[in-house]
Amino acid sequence: MKAQSALKDVERGIVDLVTSDEIRARVKMALDAKADPMDIIGGVRKALDEVGERYEKKEFFLMELIVAGNLATDIMNMLKPRLKAGASSSRGRVVIGTVQGDLHDIGKNLVAAMLTSLGYEVTDLGVDTKPERFVEAVKNEKPRVVAMSCLLTVGLPYMKTTIDALKAAGLRDKVKTIVGGRPVTKDYAKEIGADAYGSDATEAVKIISGWEGKGR
Amino acid sequence: MNRRDRALTALDHREPDIVPIWELGVDPPHVEAITGKQWITSSKGTTLDKRGVERHNADLMVECYNKLGFVMIRAAPSDPDDWKPQRFPDGTFTDEWGRIRMYDPRTKSTIPFRTLIKTPEDFEAMPFPDVHAPGRLHGIEYIVKQAKKEMAVAAEVRAPFATAWEMFGVTGFCQILHEKPQFIRKVIEKMTEFNIELIKMVVDAGADMIVSNGDIAEKNGPMVSPRYFSEIFLPNMKRERDTANRKGVKFVKHTDGDLNPIMEGLANTVDGLHSLDPSANMDIALIKKKYGKRLVLMGNVSVDKLCRGTKEEIVKDTRECIRVVAPGGGYFLNSSNTWYADAKLENCMVMVETGRKLGKYPIKL
Repeated sequence: MKAQSALKDVERGIVDLVTSDEIRARVKMALDAKADPMDIIGGVRKALDEVGERYEKKEFFLMELIVAGNLATDIMNMLKPRLKAGASSSRGRVVIGTVQGDLHDIGKNLVAAMLTSLGYEVTDLGVDTKPERFVEAVKNEKPRVVAMSCLLTVGLPYMKTTIDALKAAGLRDKVKTIVGGRPVTKDYAKEIGADAYGSDATEAVKIISGWEGKGR
Repeated sequence: MNRRDRALTALDHREPDIVPIWELGVDPPHVEAITGKQWITSSKGTTLDKRGVERHNADLMVECYNKLGFVMIRAAPSDPDDWKPQRFPDGTFTDEWGRIRMYDPRTKSTIPFRTLIKTPEDFEAMPFPDVHAPGRLHGIEYIVKQAKKEMAVAAEVRAPFATAWEMFGVTGFCQILHEKPQFIRKVIEKMTEFNIELIKMVVDAGADMIVSNGDIAEKNGPMVSPRYFSEIFLPNMKRERDTANRKGVKFVKHTDGDLNPIMEGLANTVDGLHSLDPSANMDIALIKKKYGKRLVLMGNVSVDKLCRGTKEEIVKDTRECIRVVAPGGGYFLNSSNTWYADAKLENCMVMVETGRKLGKYPIKL
């Protein structure tokens, strides 16, 4: 009962956006009450879903998304050494990057941070990422998902070039692809053969989470 | 009525002879295409010093704006004469605010990419820029001299909100604001003091309008909670506006993003709004109806359509902007951001030609 209540306090702490010190204290209390780290991780996921929903309803803004993501990352960092041997908090690997021709990275960084805090292993290729770098990363990292972002319209053709490069390398069927960013539309995503379009960071993360267990 | 008169009339909420057309920015590749002359990004390999490069590019920009018949041109403050950035092996370099900038060869400009300032302690240790440093007004004075007979001059003063979030990085800024809002208040107040001095200086140097550059919102809404805007950012922005007004010029805020959650507060804080991105839920017709008597509006032909749309779409958007926003004056026709390097120049020209054709007052559309 004590563990249950402490777990709830951690979950609420994320939604209530408590300080880093406070969330760490709550996680410690949960662990002291013998809560299973995997249950804490489950609570983190639920809390981030709620934060995402409140962002969509415009009750929360970019700042709250970032602060909640930071809290979740703090928790995951605390829990990592306590996970049982063989138990993994990883929900799979995602390769993410701002596509060639574009140097903007706020949206991409936000998606990467949220995925990390949700327990994904994220390989961030940075900005101005050439198609061949995506191909190389898929070969080496074997991710479930490739996520591409751009802010400028100049990046759009490179999303297509990247998907075409994955096809040419025989890797397209091994990964799900998702695209997003200010000029990207659902129709464009369909036109270039991406599996999904995320209209904002929370939607992208929701879609990627929804692919869990259904990966290629 | 010359172009400058058109701009000043519209800023005064009156109808000029024709809808004034301008852009807050035109990326260098378009400037090169329009003038047939080369934009210079560095004094390396030229006989010019850094001020020579600044003047060369200002000349190109003025020539470009004259060729396009624009009514107003932006002029930005300069780095001080003795400013020496820290340079890194990957080609990036620092600016006065501790931001690390990266050169973008496609747009021939630089963007803030990383930062040296990660914590409040870093900020306290940073030498705070001196607004009165020699050379600060070099670029503005030069543009005023070259352009003011024909065009109004909009002096760019970067919004403390944008400078601060770029300075701490978005993640760091949000975290510090959440945990230490009083510290961010102090940062914003200090930057506002800088801007207040700068506004006085640029108006004395000949600026006709202040444009507060730097985004405060994104596609889903303001970047931080509206309460922080009411408590910290808007009251300080109002101090900048009041200074501009006391010096006899208007204070116009540029930003991307969905402003609706803070629109009422913002409308009481600024004299005008620039760009009003339709892809971020900004309905310029509705804003004209609700705030058109107090705000000068500048917008909002979709930049996405300038990049990927058809000529017909540009004509339709431009016509609609003029039809709903131009009557009564207080309106400038421009894109919903700037002419990006990847915008189709032929689409940009269609916006200008349509504006000239349909924008004659009184508007009869």
